[in-house]
Amino acid sequence: MQFGIFTVGDVTADPTTGRTPTEHERIQATVAIAKKAEEVGLDVFATGEHHNPPFVPSSPTTTLAYIAASTERIMLSTSTTLITTNDPVKIAEDYATLQHLAGGRVDLMLGRGNQGMVYPWFGQDIRQGIPLAVENYNLLHRLWREDVVDWKGRFRTPLQGFTSTPRPLDDVPPFVWHGSIRSPEIAEQAAYYGDGFFHNHIFWPPEHTKRMVELYRRRYEHYGHGAADQAIVGLGGQVYMAKNSQDAMREFRPYFDNAPVYGGGPSLEDFSEQTPLTVGSPQQVIDRTLGFRDYVGDYQRQMFLVDHAGLPLKAVLEQLDMLGGEVVPVLRKEFDALRPAHVPEAPTHASLVAAREAAAESADEKVEVPA
Amino acid sequence: MTRRLIAVSAGLSEPSSTRLLADRLARESAEALNGGETGGAEVRTVELRGHAHAIADAMLSGFPSGALREVVDDVAAADGLILVTPTFTASYSGLFKSFIDVLDPDALQGKPVLLGATGGTERHSLMIDHAMRPLMAYLRAMPAPTGVYAASTDWGAAGLDQRIGRAAGEFAAMVAGGPVRQPVRDGFADPVPFAELLGG
Repeated sequence: MQFGIFTVGDVTADPTTGRTPTEHERIQATVAIAKKAEEVGLDVFATGEHHNPPFVPSSPTTTLAYIAASTERIMLSTSTTLITTNDPVKIAEDYATLQHLAGGRVDLMLGRGNQGMVYPWFGQDIRQGIPLAVENYNLLHRLWREDVVDWKGRFRTPLQGFTSTPRPLDDVPPFVWHGSIRSPEIAEQAAYYGDGFFHNHIFWPPEHTKRMVELYRRRYEHYGHGAADQAIVGLGGQVYMAKNSQDAMREFRPYFDNAPVYGGGPSLEDFSEQTPLTVGSPQQVIDRTLGFRDYVGDYQRQMFLVDHAGLPLKAVLEQLDMLGGEVVPVLRKEFDALRPAHVPEAPTHASLVAAREAAAESADEKVEVPA
Repeated sequence: MTRRLIAVSAGLSEPSSTRLLADRLARESAEALNGGETGGAEVRTVELRGHAHAIADAMLSGFPSGALREVVDDVAAADGLILVTPTFTASYSGLFKSFIDVLDPDALQGKPVLLGATGGTERHSLMIDHAMRPLMAYLRAMPAPTGVYAASTDWGAAGLDQRIGRAAGEFAAMVAGGPVRQPVRDGFADPVPFAELLGG
């Protein structure tokens, strides 16, 4: 099981001090958070992609390349990469380059984006969100796997004899997760390709997560990638911890009450009950997170949101100390003990290279057998 | 077959004339169905007042939770809906509209609906027709031809009973006529195969 953090990259005023960090501070903080995530033993750091204030991460591969150079072990990913408004050719090039620079420590998560105005800024139409996600990913998938591509579609100029460079590291493309909260088409897409499916899981009730994951697993089996319980599932989660759960509630409440996404809506107590948000002691986070398995089955990646709504860097780094020190080691042990042997781990560059070599070897053996 | 009716009252006070009108419309409609050959009707009445906070929360969080979630599911599954709102600034109330906004956009498609409204003055009598009906048209619901508007003075005047009776009769006939709803594809039970998505 892989554990990590995913950031939205919002620049939000700290409601307890009224101070808003500068974009420069927020970008530097993002790097500090990623380095800390590696230091405390997490497996993955993922950044979002946004193109409007109050968000800073408009150029995820630039940030991730810098982090790659400042770290040694942690995997770098996205949450999410906009497959609707980015040119799939540029995604193919950017992430293949990142993969070379990071020595293969790269995967990515694709999403449609949820802000309507971003589409026209990039010459697209939000009503075509699903068709864009489907067509653009199909092209991206081919660009990483075929050296020379002839292609024609609805949304982009045709390609003739096109080669996307650089070719993926070791000719193994970055593993792709498809993220969606409630669109069955995206679960279907992930299942069709045998890619990973990620449910954001932090804003909506578990019933939605369960329904989406069940569909993805069923269709993964349908398309012949393995049994339903072997499909590659990732979940989000949102936590704020303190040694004493009352302190966690008291400290987090002003951030919750003023958060851009749910401030002014449900109470902290209601929202904690209705969604996977867990504000409490590290033990409460452990118990709640283990419970996710009850409704999605054995899954491969757990990401936590810890750095939004104006929380200062110091508080975020403390959260990471608790996550890496007290929470993840227990979760890792417990989840691994529960997972049956036939359920795979999340793919890494090394495991994908090994799988490809094994497949090539068995193909060779078949050829050697006399007819 | 028992028909399931939901009566939604957007009245804010207790007691409320909006609730009173919703109850009268519900009772008459159920009686019309019980007296017919349809096997009768059961009615659930929902006061939006009790769900006001949850409705506001759902607008901000994106999902209806708890008891509101149940109401939303029940409305989608109902055979007929009775919708009654007070008249605020010449239209339906904000709470009423917010509730409609929380519903799935397809939830009322092809569904028989009985419209009612209350108001302080007869001068708003056309509110149902210039505000509620266009909303129903957008949702592709099927409102009964007669809507019942009850001004304060109507409660002491002759004629309201007959209007309620006529509206309930029309509505009951539509409900008894059976579903005219287009089946809505459940993308989770019956996903669109990827080849079709890719081809489209």
